[in-house]
Amino acid sequence: MAAPDELFCWEGDWGLPSVSTDSLVVLAYAQFAGAPLKLRKISNPWRSPSGSLPALRTNQKETLSRPSEIIIHLRKQKYNADYDLSAKEGADSLAFISLMEEKLVPALIYTFWIEPKNYVDVTRRWYAEHMPFPLNFFLPGRMQRQQLEKLRLLRGDESLEAGEELEKELYRDAAECMNLLSQRLGSHKFFFGDSPSSLDAYVFGHLAPVLKSKLPNGKLQQHLKSLDNLTNFCTNILLLYFPRDGRESSSQKTSPQPEAGDFDHVPNKRRKQFLSALVALGAMLSYALLSGMVSIQHVQREALEEPPDMQPIGSHDHEEEGDD
Amino acid sequence: MSLAADAFVSQMAAAEPWPESATLYQPLKEDQILLSDCASSLAVQAYLRMCSLPVQVVCKANAEYMSPSGKIPFIHVGNQVVSELGPIVQFTKAKGHSLSDGLDDVQRAEMKAYMELVNNMLLTAELYIQWCDDATAAEISRPRYSSPYSWPLSNILAYQKQWEVRRKMNAIGWGGKTLEQVYEDVSQCCQALSQRLGTQPYFFNKQPTELDALVFGHLFTILTTRLTSTELAERIKSYSNLLSFCRRIEQNYFEGKSS
Amino acid sequence: MGTVHARSLDPLPMRGPELGVQADDIEALDIEQEPKQEVLENKDVVVQRVHIDGLGRTKEDLLTYEIAEVFRARNLIDVMRKSHEARQKLLRLGIFRKVEVVIDTSRGEDALPNGLDVTFEVTELRRMTGSYNTMVGNNEGSMVLGLKLPNVFGRAEKLTFQFSYGTKETSYGLSFFKPQPGRFERNVSINLYKVTGQFPWSSLRETDRGVSAELSFPVWKTNQTLKWEGVWRELGCLARTASFAVREESGHSLKSSLSHAMVIDTRNSSILPKKGGLFKIHQELAGYTGGDASFLKEDFEIQLNRSLFWDSVLSASLWGGLLLPIGDKPTSIADRFYLGGPTSIRGFSMYSMGPQSEGDYLGGEAYWAGGLHLYTPLPFRPGRGGFGDLFRTHFFLNAGNLCNLNYGEGPQAHLKKLAECIRWSYGLGIVLRLGNIARLELNYCIPMGVQSGDRICDGVQFGAGIRFL
Repeated sequence: MAAPDELFCWEGDWGLPSVSTDSLVVLAYAQFAGAPLKLRKISNPWRSPSGSLPALRTNQKETLSRPSEIIIHLRKQKYNADYDLSAKEGADSLAFISLMEEKLVPALIYTFWIEPKNYVDVTRRWYAEHMPFPLNFFLPGRMQRQQLEKLRLLRGDESLEAGEELEKELYRDAAECMNLLSQRLGSHKFFFGDSPSSLDAYVFGHLAPVLKSKLPNGKLQQHLKSLDNLTNFCTNILLLYFPRDGRESSSQKTSPQPEAGDFDHVPNKRRKQFLSALVALGAMLSYALLSGMVSIQHVQREALEEPPDMQPIGSHDHEEEGDD
Repeated sequence: MSLAADAFVSQMAAAEPWPESATLYQPLKEDQILLSDCASSLAVQAYLRMCSLPVQVVCKANAEYMSPSGKIPFIHVGNQVVSELGPIVQFTKAKGHSLSDGLDDVQRAEMKAYMELVNNMLLTAELYIQWCDDATAAEISRPRYSSPYSWPLSNILAYQKQWEVRRKMNAIGWGGKTLEQVYEDVSQCCQALSQRLGTQPYFFNKQPTELDALVFGHLFTILTTRLTSTELAERIKSYSNLLSFCRRIEQNYFEGKSS
Repeated sequence: MGTVHARSLDPLPMRGPELGVQADDIEALDIEQEPKQEVLENKDVVVQRVHIDGLGRTKEDLLTYEIAEVFRARNLIDVMRKSHEARQKLLRLGIFRKVEVVIDTSRGEDALPNGLDVTFEVTELRRMTGSYNTMVGNNEGSMVLGLKLPNVFGRAEKLTFQFSYGTKETSYGLSFFKPQPGRFERNVSINLYKVTGQFPWSSLRETDRGVSAELSFPVWKTNQTLKWEGVWRELGCLARTASFAVREESGHSLKSSLSHAMVIDTRNSSILPKKGGLFKIHQELAGYTGGDASFLKEDFEIQLNRSLFWDSVLSASLWGGLLLPIGDKPTSIADRFYLGGPTSIRGFSMYSMGPQSEGDYLGGEAYWAGGLHLYTPLPFRPGRGGFGDLFRTHFFLNAGNLCNLNYGEGPQAHLKKLAECIRWSYGLGIVLRLGNIARLELNYCIPMGVQSGDRICDGVQFGAGIRFL
């Protein structure tokens, strides 16, 4: 057998095999179709063959980036999770995938990358903690700018900014989309029959991060949790197809770390404070000395004394004169 | 439209009946309008005809800039201005005209999903072919888009629009696609639509809905617009039920009445 | 026979790179006559040499014109007067920070017994000056960065760049100015700019990107300016609630126009003049050099001032304008005239008069406005001789009208229309003069003749600006 294709994708967290929607879609589809892939979970997009994640490196050394392309490639390799779908079901798949892309994706971008509290507390921190030095300084910020740009282009508004009105609009569309998905799913286990298909992979990929991440501003999450069948759908897939990742998260939960603000996490706090105060003081002193505001005089005893021949004679003279 | 404006518009809309003087604005038909705008405009016109709401079509060179959202077409009803099919459907619903009332929840979900399919695949493909394909952009899109303006403004605006559309294509992942792949996507989309339509007269059996208007707008425009190559039209023509669907709507709603 | 050692010409002011000297404050040249100079006054002198010291990058040939007159002086007082005039000319070039004049007897082999050497000691301005301001106004804050390069190539050319970065809009402008050597009043100026403006009275937002070239020259007593301008105008609605008439004007257009302006200004000051008059006429023809806009625009401004008893001044002014579209395209809202506000017809809100649609003022194609003012010093004259002199009280009467031209009715009907429904107002207020450029007013106005649709500002109204009716 030819060597399996390599899939590079984002690391997982919060009980998910990966934190990124696209990576989740590809991972889920690969599991559903039983495709043997060599998984490389990394957190440095620069190490991926295409510069972004997810990326599939086929054994012909071709690199595919978009989930739709990767799924088509896997299908060509006969790993096809949509084999049993009728033509109409295939058409419905396409339609619902489009629905998610038009109505759900903008809200997802907003809630993870644009909403200020979410971005700073969760997204940026996750990426900064998981990326290697020195990428963690600038790459999350760049990713955020790219996502903001993408949202602006999707909405056709160049001056789009985070705001309550925008949030309400996007969340309203997303809520409607989730409702529609919920109605379509009904009480079935998967969208079409008993075995999952590519639509299930897409829905899982888009909804799972919302469900599992702990966002401070969790309006989308609340709405999703109110839709039981979708919540069960996601947890079901996690249990069935990604058991290991679910267990990992529970083991993480046994050693909870206090989620205090950034400052408390700094080690050797006292020492750093002392050092920085010392450096500041030293800088101020050296500036004062160099600019002449403060000058140190060498007091040498020889210089202060009058020349020895003058004073005693003078005083003598004075004394003598005084005596007169 | 923002949420607050939505609520306000719905309130205002409900207050007044549909006036006789409603107008729909689009770019100049002969020289300026492009495929994607023409398709969107035709979809709205078809929808309004299906609702039996009279509207007058006015062509203005600066229609795109007049529109509150920057997209064509928009309607001026009373003193409200509403653009794009989605908000227009909501607006007419607030006035008591709706085509999708008879659908149940699952059907409505499917209708919305298929409308997004058309927007996501067909409209994006039209934009791609117009602006990202160099031959079409140079021969058709740029000259037409810039026709009302004089030099050098015409060049500046045309290139600006092209750059904007290309950036959007890159952002949504279509930037790396080839023309062949785009045609493939169009075929897939048409196949899905054809499957859904089956042998029925309209997508939801007897009565047309906004989905029918949208599909008609796009397919009819593609079939009747001259591009640099006929590939796009050919792909659609291979689905006979879609062709008869277009003809049916044209006969029922556009012929016999002055368009 | 003593030597005349005029180190500096007192009592004339010596400092000032800008022409901050207020022309109207200086009375005729007053030279102290010392008994010693009386003898020399009638003595013939010959100016043998005129030097200019301290030149760096300025080219000499530029300055020879300015100082040429000094050679023609025949006696000492004449020398001093002509040197003063030459100093003024050098200062107005705008390239020197300081100019000092030294008149000395000639030395050297070819020195005549009554020969004089005149030396101008100049300090050039620095090669580049910058400025940084912050401005707040109109719900917007902005940072303004300015760069000025005086005397770029040595012949008093000036290059200025201004960049304004605001919370809502950014604008910038680059300008190059070149006078003709020897004749400063003849000059050429080329500008490049991007300006954005928001006009809440019309719910309109306008962005102009343009280039213009301007040629100015004096003809007899007038100052003429010829200008070509090419502007890319982008209009948009300021708010969703803008009226449909303004929405219809949104979009892009290109205006390429030739214009001519003629100014005769005999006033002694442009702000609160005491005497003299101003006549200004401006015409613009667009469309024949390309572009979309096509019109002929005329406007004029007349002002007459006369001093009355007790330090009061009577001032009358008249403005008018006409915009004629050429071809069948209607005029654009950005070209039309606007009227009303503290700088024109007081008592009405800013530009809130005339044709309007749903509360947005669309401007008019023809207008006239007239004002009659009586300026008096403040009652009881507080702070006389100092700060108090900057303030004046004024009693005013303003009137005007603004309308559109609907053709097919002939010019008689248009004139009749302008004469009907005149808006007018009267009142009194206090005027504060800011330097030589601007003035502030605080008025109590009573508007009359208000037509439906106008917005008035009854009672106290504050205004600041450069050009007032």
